[in-house]
Amino acid sequence: MIQDEKPPLVKAPDAIWRSIEAALDATPERRPTNLFAAWQWAAASLVVVGAISWFAFKPAAPAWQVSRLEGSAAVDKIKVGEWLQTDSNSRARITVGDIGVVDVEPNTRIRLVAASPTEHRLTLARGEISATVSAPPRLFLVDTPASTAVDLGCAYKIKTDESGDGVLRVTSGWVSLEWKGRESLVPAGANCRTRPGTGPGTPYFEDASEALQQALAAFDFAKGGDESLRILLSQARVRDTLSLWHVLSRVEPRDRVRVVDRMVELVPLPAGVTRERALQLDPATLKSWREELAWKW
Amino acid sequence: MEMVKTTLFALALAASSAWGKDFSLTIGNPVAVALPDGVNPVVKKKDAGMAVRVENCAEVASARVTATAEGIVNGARRSVPVRLVAATTPGAFAVSHDWPMEGAWVVNLTGHCGASTASAVVPFGPNGFLRESSKFFPRAATAAEVEAVLKTLSGGAQ
Repeated sequence: MIQDEKPPLVKAPDAIWRSIEAALDATPERRPTNLFAAWQWAAASLVVVGAISWFAFKPAAPAWQVSRLEGSAAVDKIKVGEWLQTDSNSRARITVGDIGVVDVEPNTRIRLVAASPTEHRLTLARGEISATVSAPPRLFLVDTPASTAVDLGCAYKIKTDESGDGVLRVTSGWVSLEWKGRESLVPAGANCRTRPGTGPGTPYFEDASEALQQALAAFDFAKGGDESLRILLSQARVRDTLSLWHVLSRVEPRDRVRVVDRMVELVPLPAGVTRERALQLDPATLKSWREELAWKW
Repeated sequence: MEMVKTTLFALALAASSAWGKDFSLTIGNPVAVALPDGVNPVVKKKDAGMAVRVENCAEVASARVTATAEGIVNGARRSVPVRLVAATTPGAFAVSHDWPMEGAWVVNLTGHCGASTASAVVPFGPNGFLRESSKFFPRAATAAEVEAVLKTLSGGAQ
């Protein structure tokens, strides 16, 4: 059975009250300040303020303007990493920083890879673009599935199909078409084909004979061998020394003599260029020869 | 003594004539002065219609070339001064395409090397200069020679 019974009241001893009063009078002991924690708070605050400021004032990601030339354009800018795609009725113009423009033809898919002061780079997955650029050499580049078009101060068109096969057509200046150390220098008025796994073929002028163009295609991409070389040499005009100059470095060593002989037949060797050095593919000799031949192109 | 003087004079004259006879102009694709290694950055290459350089000039650094475009547009005869921009190679120049796209045009180039003069009259087609139809002279081209090339280019429609 539980009972509700109050306990009796008992007076506390005086000693207890004295000890309580003494405790109240004494200076309370300070808890030591945690300096490390204060630094952490300061640092954390700075980080938060910094983050807010960065988000508020962060520089815009590099982007190029896009304008509609034909059809509908869904975007007015393309940022680094973004793709731009035109349909069968659309054409667009990309303003490449302040160095030029790229016109994007219908059914084209293109991506902005880099837009820095030292590199302006696009990837052309498929379709066709026309680039007009006025900039120092090697600043503007276009990657395709088969090679990279390196602007050397020029205007050009480049297209690539679904299989990655492509063709470059230069309308002014020079373009270097490059892939894994293989390079084709393409001047105004010339074309150059390119294939995945092989890279750039041999450049040729648009007015070269059909037979020469076919022989080059076989030489570059179909292991045309001796027959294609024979046709190439017999069809070459003075202007086609552009093609022969490239072929010289790509034939078997035993065939170099045939190529050099034909080139000299078309255009006498200039001063400072020797046959022996040319056969050895001496870089300085080949460069001097190309610079002189360019006057005949 | 008089004979020696005469002989020396004749030799000097012959040498001078030989030198003067050899002085000439070479024309080429604009890419000849816009080399792909970027060491020869001549103007904006897309503005260049062609390139020209002097040949066999002892004082190549002081060689001068001037040019004028002569054309027929909609039946009217026109003349346009043409800018030449020196390349980094002495004696070579980019010829600026300063004339309109429409009409028929030839470029009259005149080069000077010391006392020697040479010239070239170069017709232009839709795809650039026409090398095979160009005329070269060991002196300044006459107005009649320029008109003749222009007349041929425009199909006699002058």
